[in-house]
Amino acid sequence: MDKTPLLEIEDLCAQVDNKEIIKNFNLTINKGEIHAIMGPNGAGKSTLSYVLCGKDGYEVTSGNIRFKGQNLLDMNVEQRARAGLFLIMQHPVEIPGVSATTFLKHAVNDIRKANNLPEIETMDFIKDIKNISRNLNLDNDMLKRSLNVSFSGGEKKRMEALQMSVLKPCLSILDEADSGLDIDALKTVAKQINSLKDEHKSMLVITHFQRLLNYIEPDFVHIFANGRIVKSGDKNLAIELEQNGYSQYIKENA
Amino acid sequence: MSISEQHTVLNPILETLRQKGNSSFAKQGLPTSKNESFKYTKFRELNLDNFVFAKQEHKCCCNEHKLGFDAYEIVFCNGKLCHNHCSGLDKIEVLPLIDAIKDKTSQKYLNKSFDMDNFPFAALNNAYLEQGLFIRVAKDYVSDKPLALVYHLVANEKYFCNIHNVVVLENNAQLDLVEYYYHAGDIKAEYFNNVVNEFFISKNATLNHYKVQNDAFKAFHIALNVANVKQNGRYDSFCLQKGALLARNETVVKLLEEKAQTEVNGAYVINGWATADTSTYIEHLHSETYSNQLVKGVVGDYAKGVFQGKIYIAPDTAKINGYQLHKALLLSDDAVVNVKPELEIFADDVKCSHGSTCGEIDKEQMFYLRSRGISEQNAKQILITAFINELFNKISNPNIISWLKSF
Repeated sequence: MDKTPLLEIEDLCAQVDNKEIIKNFNLTINKGEIHAIMGPNGAGKSTLSYVLCGKDGYEVTSGNIRFKGQNLLDMNVEQRARAGLFLIMQHPVEIPGVSATTFLKHAVNDIRKANNLPEIETMDFIKDIKNISRNLNLDNDMLKRSLNVSFSGGEKKRMEALQMSVLKPCLSILDEADSGLDIDALKTVAKQINSLKDEHKSMLVITHFQRLLNYIEPDFVHIFANGRIVKSGDKNLAIELEQNGYSQYIKENA
Repeated sequence: MSISEQHTVLNPILETLRQKGNSSFAKQGLPTSKNESFKYTKFRELNLDNFVFAKQEHKCCCNEHKLGFDAYEIVFCNGKLCHNHCSGLDKIEVLPLIDAIKDKTSQKYLNKSFDMDNFPFAALNNAYLEQGLFIRVAKDYVSDKPLALVYHLVANEKYFCNIHNVVVLENNAQLDLVEYYYHAGDIKAEYFNNVVNEFFISKNATLNHYKVQNDAFKAFHIALNVANVKQNGRYDSFCLQKGALLARNETVVKLLEEKAQTEVNGAYVINGWATADTSTYIEHLHSETYSNQLVKGVVGDYAKGVFQGKIYIAPDTAKINGYQLHKALLLSDDAVVNVKPELEIFADDVKCSHGSTCGEIDKEQMFYLRSRGISEQNAKQILITAFINELFNKISNPNIISWLKSF
């Protein structure tokens, strides 16, 4: 496997509402690797994903993040997305009056424009999203409806997986991608996500439970507690966690 | 501005109407904020002495289709009727108002739907009565395409465009009426559109009224629309206000008989120093009548949106539904929206509601769109468009929807 680093996080500290949530966090993800971050509620897992995406209100107080060798902190939200960062959100927001098709076409074209590429052919684009939605068991009707409005939990996650498939990011962050999914939907979403895997694409899977990791198999598992990684290992660490819980790690670091 | 500058062929009926308008306007003057129905809209910058009427002999070159969809088109240029492509229609009678008032029929309708002593600009409109149309759709006739009134402003002078239309739909008739106000001259042109539309909708008749006001940014635009709706009749309107320094679109609907219905919807999308005023007064004068209003605003820069909506429910009526909703998006810290919803209910068996929301563009939605690579500016535009597009769900004519979306 290519050992070129894609994402390098060094001594990252970040706060929300003047409260420090991420404390001296270190992590390097190389091209083609899948990393899982597991941790209890309130450990700062979602904060980490928002910090990486550059959301307002998530303030980096010290440390560095490099993405493809560039300083990620110099980029705004859309520049990070255009560089190849993608977040499957835990709670995708509802956007009344905007269909998935319309919105994704804007996204594809804004990304292409930033890379000096011409606008995508509408027919190619439609064909592409129809194929992907078939793989995800998403009704064509869902592509025309207002984005995420009165979608079930499963439909929302499948819509996120659809966007990931269209935008083909080099680093996908999956924030609790299994929440709200029944077992069949979980398999469908995981299958689609796995189909996007290749030696250049990396993933950061954030989850409470080991369940998702049965379907998206990680190369590395990190335990995240009190704002930092407290233990790293391979996929067996996730299985061990499932049996023993997080309490020993929280106590050690309290 | 003086009457002598106007059309010279006067007749006694017109003379009487003008005198009445003149004395009513003299009594009222331009409204101030003490006038409750003009509470938030200021007329300090409107100086009537500045305006002149366009000369009749003005050479007009606007005989071209501006709409982009098929319609029976009538063009006014600088406030004067200049092209009537509808004079030979069989089932839709279209006459210049000044010709129609010689006839007893039109006198049955003209100024019969409001008391001009309560509407200063309608009084002013009568004081200079000349331009406008009398339109009558024959019994049982369903128009195959919309009738469009295109108000074209080309010159750079301070023109006073004073229009009064009377539209009559006989029993079971149906018409889509389009009004399009736009300018093609100097963008700084300071003209004044003062419009009165009176609609008489007979039994089982339906009038769909679509208006786009896209005047020059220093223009004034005042419009009063009064609809009288009889049994099982329907008046549905949609007004988009985009231009003008000061624009007011006032709609009065009188639901006169049972099962009379109305939808009064609209949007204002303004910036700069513009004021856009949407005022409605829905009068439920009979049992089993229905009204619904949805008005949305997008206000940027230092602009001001005004929404005043009143629903009146007469005593001794029952089984009435009256709904009203206003939503505004503020795009800057200096943008203002003034809202005054009023319900006057004098009956018991009534379902009525009103609501108003006002806020900024949702930050979570912005983050979501941008996190997919969409630029901040495009993300904002997508959300604004979506906000306005909700209004088009109720419009059935796809040509008109795409026309409205083009602004």
